[in-house]
Amino acid sequence: MKRLFSVALGILTAIGGFVDIGDLVTNAVVGSRFGLGLAWVVLVGVVGICVFAQMSGRVAAVSGRATFEIIRERLGPRAGLANLGASFLINLLTLTAEIGGVALALQLATSVDPLLWMPVAAFGVWIAVWRARFRLLENVTGLLGLTLIVFAVALFMLAPDWNALAGQALQRGTPQDEPVATYWFFAVALFGAAMTPYEVFFFSSGAIEERWTEKDLATSRLNVLVGFPLGGLLSIAIAGCAAVVLLPASIDVTSLSQVVLPVADAGGKVALAFAIVGILAATFGAALETTLSSGYTLAQYFGWSWGKFRRPAKAARFHLSMIICLFVAVAILATGVDPIVVTEFSVVFSAVALPLTYLPILIIANDREYMGDRVNGRGMNAIGTVYLVIILIAAIAAIPLLIITGGGA
Amino acid sequence: MNDRRAIGRALDAHLHLLDRQVLDRDDVPVTTVDDLELVGIELGAAIDRDAAPPRVTAILTGSDLATRIFGGRPPPSRRVRIPWELVAEIGTAIRLGVAGDTLDATWAERWVSDHIIGRIPGGRHDPE
Repeated sequence: MKRLFSVALGILTAIGGFVDIGDLVTNAVVGSRFGLGLAWVVLVGVVGICVFAQMSGRVAAVSGRATFEIIRERLGPRAGLANLGASFLINLLTLTAEIGGVALALQLATSVDPLLWMPVAAFGVWIAVWRARFRLLENVTGLLGLTLIVFAVALFMLAPDWNALAGQALQRGTPQDEPVATYWFFAVALFGAAMTPYEVFFFSSGAIEERWTEKDLATSRLNVLVGFPLGGLLSIAIAGCAAVVLLPASIDVTSLSQVVLPVADAGGKVALAFAIVGILAATFGAALETTLSSGYTLAQYFGWSWGKFRRPAKAARFHLSMIICLFVAVAILATGVDPIVVTEFSVVFSAVALPLTYLPILIIANDREYMGDRVNGRGMNAIGTVYLVIILIAAIAAIPLLIITGGGA
Repeated sequence: MNDRRAIGRALDAHLHLLDRQVLDRDDVPVTTVDDLELVGIELGAAIDRDAAPPRVTAILTGSDLATRIFGGRPPPSRRVRIPWELVAEIGTAIRLGVAGDTLDATWAERWVSDHIIGRIPGGRHDPE
């Protein structure tokens, strides 16, 4: 019974934890422009994150080493440092976007200027990282994030023409009125949003925080394999809502109020309240994960003491670097830059950084010295390699597409 | 290799030692192996056919990371050494037989802990 409960809890947390500001904004933007025409990208991304998240969890549980310790060891100090620099900066950009997202969600709830909420959001994240237990953080934000199901409920309440939606989802190629490059630019952005690298840093370091052993792997695999696809369905529901309400009205998504507009349309104030709670929980949870990931990557590269299971004074440089990252994120936001724009850039650059994280994981998952007889099977390697090719293509195409399309304008 | 426990097991210094995580006896991370100190070998000199093999005498850390990436060599007085005698076990991490607090390699960690993190309220308590 207890085990059943823990599995159920894990799955629910994975669903709520899958969606972050990147998924929210990108899915709404894509839905408002292409309908469900890019829903297939979310499916591809979800399978990819399932494959690599459980792979990195298995590596951490079996070898006891987290992702960035392994990246440094396999790539050496120089390539490892280049990888750290890129991964860390993109993670910092994502952190900035998430803090901005928390502030925007609070603005939706209170009408107070987000600039005033940003330091509050960052302080809240810091207090949680400083004092709360790892498990507690994950469960509370994950469960509250489940209220995002209101997007799926709203989609049904809007009583859309399901045949038309299915038609959009199954349509081959680009819609008539959008250039091909724009279509692929948003495909790459959506892929980056679904597969953001911090999820892997967080997952593998979390496995060590919670002292997983090989026994826990079955539970974790179930959480990932059930929770993430359901989280992906939430993403598609967000795009679907935008497709039904925003696309016909040609409303561009430039702020969170447009993201939640369909929900308010369908379910009024109560539904809107649920959506705001969900967005707040999802962005706050992701802000915690990215803050921790910034500490994890630095500490693991340099070999510092890290982990939330230790007292802060016993992982001093780990905690200091997270505090500095939060200050930097607030400083970036204080320049008045639009958090939605930061989010859009963060998902594109995440796509660029994907191979840096995923290639070393695939290599180490085949290393018998680390994994003993728990190395990847043939099927897992086949899927992993296919994904590596997709990831590489997305990473190479991301910046040229960003420039050609002017950020999808 | 002068570690008695490693007898019968060939270790590649580059593959199994360099850039590997170093843990103290309580599994607290100390540092990463940034470089190794070898004795019995002269840089650039020809190696005598029957010369004794070089020995690893210490794990180096601190500024050795920077010099390994960017080149150059710090003066020996600047080196942060963990004598090889302290190594107890080599696996997917290198385990020392002593507490990390006693080592020079953890100086920066202790400084940040004593002067910044330990002074913030709650910094010395377990998470709740």
